[in-house]
Amino acid sequence: MRPALRLAAILLALASAPAYAAKPGQEEVQSDISMREISIQSNFTGIEILIFGSVDFSHAPAPDEGVYDVIVVIRAPDQPLVARRKVRVAGIWVNGPGKTYPTVPEFYAVLATRPLRAITSEETLRTLGIGLGNLDFGGRTEGDLDEQTFRSAVIRLKEQQGLFQDIDDGVSFIGRSLFRATVDLPVNVPIGRYTAAVYLFRDGTLVSKNESTLEVNKVGFERLIYLLAFRHPFLYGLLAVVMAVLAGLIGWVVFRRE
Amino acid sequence: MLQVYLPITEISVNLAVMLGLGAAVGFLSGMFGVGGGFLLTPFLMFSGIAAPIAVATGANQIVATSVSGALAQWRRGNIDFRMGYLLIAGGLAGALIGVFVLKVLREAGQAGLIISLIYVALLGVIGMLMLGESLRAMRRARAGKPVAARRPGQHNWIHGLPLKMRFPRSRLYISAIPPLAIGWVVGLLTSLLGVGGGFIMVPAMIYLLRMPTNIVIGTSMFQIIFVTAIVTVLHATLNHSLDVVLALILAAGGVIGGQFGVRAGQKLRGEQLRALLGLMVLAVALRLLLDLVLRPSELYSIAPLFAGG
Repeated sequence: MRPALRLAAILLALASAPAYAAKPGQEEVQSDISMREISIQSNFTGIEILIFGSVDFSHAPAPDEGVYDVIVVIRAPDQPLVARRKVRVAGIWVNGPGKTYPTVPEFYAVLATRPLRAITSEETLRTLGIGLGNLDFGGRTEGDLDEQTFRSAVIRLKEQQGLFQDIDDGVSFIGRSLFRATVDLPVNVPIGRYTAAVYLFRDGTLVSKNESTLEVNKVGFERLIYLLAFRHPFLYGLLAVVMAVLAGLIGWVVFRRE
Repeated sequence: MLQVYLPITEISVNLAVMLGLGAAVGFLSGMFGVGGGFLLTPFLMFSGIAAPIAVATGANQIVATSVSGALAQWRRGNIDFRMGYLLIAGGLAGALIGVFVLKVLREAGQAGLIISLIYVALLGVIGMLMLGESLRAMRRARAGKPVAARRPGQHNWIHGLPLKMRFPRSRLYISAIPPLAIGWVVGLLTSLLGVGGGFIMVPAMIYLLRMPTNIVIGTSMFQIIFVTAIVTVLHATLNHSLDVVLALILAAGGVIGGQFGVRAGQKLRGEQLRALLGLMVLAVALRLLLDLVLRPSELYSIAPLFAGG
């Protein structure tokens, strides 16, 4: 544990901007997202976003030289989650005792130029918290035999929902310094402020990092419904009843047979 | 095909499919003269909507359909309001308990299981009763015997209960306790299952309270409007499980489908209709049961943890 902590401290110091901004001529990564805001309306069926960027002071002699590796991590805020496993009780499958994970990102996509382990060491990835396997869900109980199966179930289910993504060849270089990556945000994409972190690696070493943010919001009617339902639920329920009564009245007027 | 994003369910559904589901259930309820909630909630669950949302949204949808029905009954003077108020009072008490129970179950991750189990039991029993009764009626009809209309006796144990009230519209002088109790059970069923509860209330009013049949239907619809409305508001407030967009789509489909169902129902004979409905109810119960006993392909599930209260 100790060496890992020390490494973490070193890397944290490395990751702070002035450490490499101070050295002129060293590579720096710049990035942005195709859209800073995503609006969820009633016709929303998911969206593809583009993360693009460039490497300043690129030392790459040619586009296909492969000097640099880029890892892009898009992450939504954390959410407490409970995972349950079904057990058989009297012939019926019921939810058994669950495990609570306090800090599961609602959305997490990692894209890279190559498989993560080919880019840098497992140690570095773990310290930076990059990759599905290195996410800290909190609530880890040491020595629990079930821990690993529950953890991988959470990851598997999130992947099935399209809310966790791990794409090995998701980032591609165009020319010596330009790169791009596309991420599919599914229809069930959670709202909130996302961060898109771009890590630049050379020979397995992190040389630069850049971060931008992305707001995912419900707008218009969807926003109104959502706010009503969660902030003024009583009013929302009353309105739902009024609408149902009106629908019934309309039905009666239209179809009544005297 | 037009996809519609449901803001509370947080999934995108095909508008035509959901309208069709509402219309199909409306068609069946118009054809058989039943509320249809006991088919709608399981169908919503089959189409991947979480059980608590299916229940709250189903209740909201029933408000719309029962308003149309109750208005028609009211025009014919077929509502016993005094009886209706008692049934609503009992329903409110049952609904409060049911909504709270569902909230606790949901937080424990057992809502879907309990809802399914109650449905299997209820639909299994009702389906078999309907099928058996209609098969006997068909056999009698084939044997040429007249279909015996059961003549209930004038008095039963209900008349021994205290707190007697007069119900002029139903020409009854009975205790207030049975209507309150019937309302209570219906309120509980509405809040736990997202049903109107007419399939329990109507026979109970006919056979226990001995109310005139023409007044039973109208009074039951009158009660259903208010109890489903109360359940809708309670679920929205306590469980945040109401999806108003889904409810409106289902209601629109239901109102239209119901009209065609009524016409189709007039072309079929009563016993055949009941046999058909019995079979359908049994099929739904069987499907729910299979989902409970067959080994699921995915043993794990995840759900957001609700913070406190």
